[in-house]
Amino acid sequence: MIGIFSYIVFFATIASILAIAVLGLNLQWGNTGLFNGGVVAFFGAGAYGTLLLGGSPQPDHIAGFELFYPIALIGGMAIAGILAWVVGILTLKMRHDYLAISTFGVAVAFENLMRNAEWLGGGAKGLRGFERPFRESLGDGFLYNSVFLILVLFCLLATYWFLEYLVSSPFGRLLRAIREDENAARSLGKNPAQIRLTAFVCGSVIMGLAGGLYGTFYAFVSPQDVLPTLTFQIWAMLIVGGAGNNKGAVLGAFLIWAAWTFSGWALSRFAPIEAQLYTGSIQYVLIGLVIVTMLLWRPQGLFPERLVVSQSSLR
Amino acid sequence: MKKENGSFALKLCVAICLALFASNSVSQACTTKVGAVLPTSVDWGRPIAETAQFVVEQVNESGGVSGCKIEMILRDTQVDPKVGVDAAKALVDLDGVQLLLGAVSSGVSMPILTSVSVPSKVMQMSCCSSSTAFSKLAEDGKTKGLWYRTFATTGVQSAVGAKVAKDRGFKTVAILYKNDDWGQDLNRLITRDFGALGIKVTSAVAINDGQPSYKAEVTNALSGNPEALYLGLYPNEGTAAVREWLSLGGTQNMIMANSLKSEDFRENVGLQYLDNAFGTDTASPRVASADEFVKLYKNHFGKEPSGPGLANSYDATMIALLAMEAAGKGATGDQIASQVSRVTDPEGTPITADAAGFKAARTILAEGGNVMYQGATGNVRFDKNGDVSAPAVVWKFTDTGTKEIEYLSLTEVDEFIASMN
Repeated sequence: MIGIFSYIVFFATIASILAIAVLGLNLQWGNTGLFNGGVVAFFGAGAYGTLLLGGSPQPDHIAGFELFYPIALIGGMAIAGILAWVVGILTLKMRHDYLAISTFGVAVAFENLMRNAEWLGGGAKGLRGFERPFRESLGDGFLYNSVFLILVLFCLLATYWFLEYLVSSPFGRLLRAIREDENAARSLGKNPAQIRLTAFVCGSVIMGLAGGLYGTFYAFVSPQDVLPTLTFQIWAMLIVGGAGNNKGAVLGAFLIWAAWTFSGWALSRFAPIEAQLYTGSIQYVLIGLVIVTMLLWRPQGLFPERLVVSQSSLR
Repeated sequence: MKKENGSFALKLCVAICLALFASNSVSQACTTKVGAVLPTSVDWGRPIAETAQFVVEQVNESGGVSGCKIEMILRDTQVDPKVGVDAAKALVDLDGVQLLLGAVSSGVSMPILTSVSVPSKVMQMSCCSSSTAFSKLAEDGKTKGLWYRTFATTGVQSAVGAKVAKDRGFKTVAILYKNDDWGQDLNRLITRDFGALGIKVTSAVAINDGQPSYKAEVTNALSGNPEALYLGLYPNEGTAAVREWLSLGGTQNMIMANSLKSEDFRENVGLQYLDNAFGTDTASPRVASADEFVKLYKNHFGKEPSGPGLANSYDATMIALLAMEAAGKGATGDQIASQVSRVTDPEGTPITADAAGFKAARTILAEGGNVMYQGATGNVRFDKNGDVSAPAVVWKFTDTGTKEIEYLSLTEVDEFIASMN
């Protein structure tokens, strides 16, 4: 039985980390209408940032400042935020698909930078030498994973509450106003460019938090962790869950990640031996089917956005 | 967690399998699960998994491990670390495996090792991960002796590549290398080795996967007008890059890493252009069991074992299962890992890499003796970091596959490497 619990804890940790990243994207796309096609760059910046700041010194690259873990994690988020600020200033003038393409380019550039800059992040070998906090007292096993899950859940809940508060505040209304009609918002004396940048940076910092936790959990990150697949996965989670709804974003993350992993588990268990070699390919088909079915059946997502005219009708 | 989590369908499946294998042995009343985490959704990953399955079939044919039938549960990594680690974790936690085979990419094997195998004390044996990061991790004592790989460290490959260039009298060489951990390591090592032999590297160009054209990279490599080209690439991008290289008038003097030992590469580039192309590999077909592997493989699959990592996958699976046999019934991962030296003991009784060899090993191990596994990549011997050094061959493409040009024994390889330092 302990094995099942151990796996569930593990699964919930990864799903929660991904859910945090989906919440960050929801702020950008769901609430502000910014098509960020480079989620993985900010996720990766958080992961690399945290491990670089919190890791032990390595001979062949600059890693290892051995900072106190919370500072390293916040540092990782800050690096993601700074990256988002620079990218935002350069690209947020663009709309929709143009923004998507340019941010996608940023993500590919980020991956290639990490793959090639051996002095920075260890190159393709990845970044090692990070000691997980409290590993000495908690060990490596189930206990550690459980405690880490509690930390991740705390971060997830904090992010969720923060975003719920944010979107129901006047600032949240402003985000939606910009999403729906930027000119109208401007005519009311608002500064859409600045608000868009704020939302973009804020969402990216949240993605950076997810990345930092992800890097901490594996105590390792390599360019293979920041491939465009992750951007796609996070988008699929948001769309299936329901863009514009934080509950949907979290649920979508759990659901898609469960489909992603459970399909592999089920196939390995129930497919006949001759078909085992092809389960990898079948799994891709199944994942695609789930997403397409969801889009056809419920394009607004499981939990569509609830638009309210005024705050009073919520209560 | 060695018990199954009792699902009816699984039990039914086991029952059917048992019925099928009942004729082989009376003692196979139980099943031991081992996990394999390999990129089966990738074209070159599938044959690696197929080879591992083939070994399991043979071991079961010989009577299984400790009287139990081996069931290899195969999971796809999608070459995505998240997916690979999740699969490994599920295998360890839900299926209770004590042995993980895989993964192929170092970027996937590494997080599996650090966050699944080591914390859960499960033995991990990779066929194909080549990153030098594993040796460093082992030196730091962080693999806890649970990590092994049958892929010889890149050092052997690069040394022999440099030797080929020296023997053929090339003075200038350009390098094209795959832009991943393996390629970067290889490039660093071979640049050093060429330098040690007084061969000038005119340019070293990284090749990224999946580009529609490599014209820019190839032009860059051509610019120094090198006498030869060193290729540290995989078949897909290797084919594309070499075609552009040749069409732009590059030399046909090529030196290839073992990753290009592929029929696809030979056919898509064209044998007529590969007459002066020499490959290097760490395989050592000097023992009967290595030829046996090729024969076995041909019999079973009807083609030459010419994809990357096949012989390594064969040996990885076989050695891991031998260690499992040596460790006895119900052994945990660290117990299995501690037995690897017993089955790859250079002083031990030589055994072949097939069902008969496994049977022979079982008797010897049961009597407390040690065996020397003679496998598809030669007499595999691990150092304290779980790495293998290996004899090397120089090979060339032929109509039907590859043929060996030169053989360097383990001592010759070691001496040559020492002579460069």
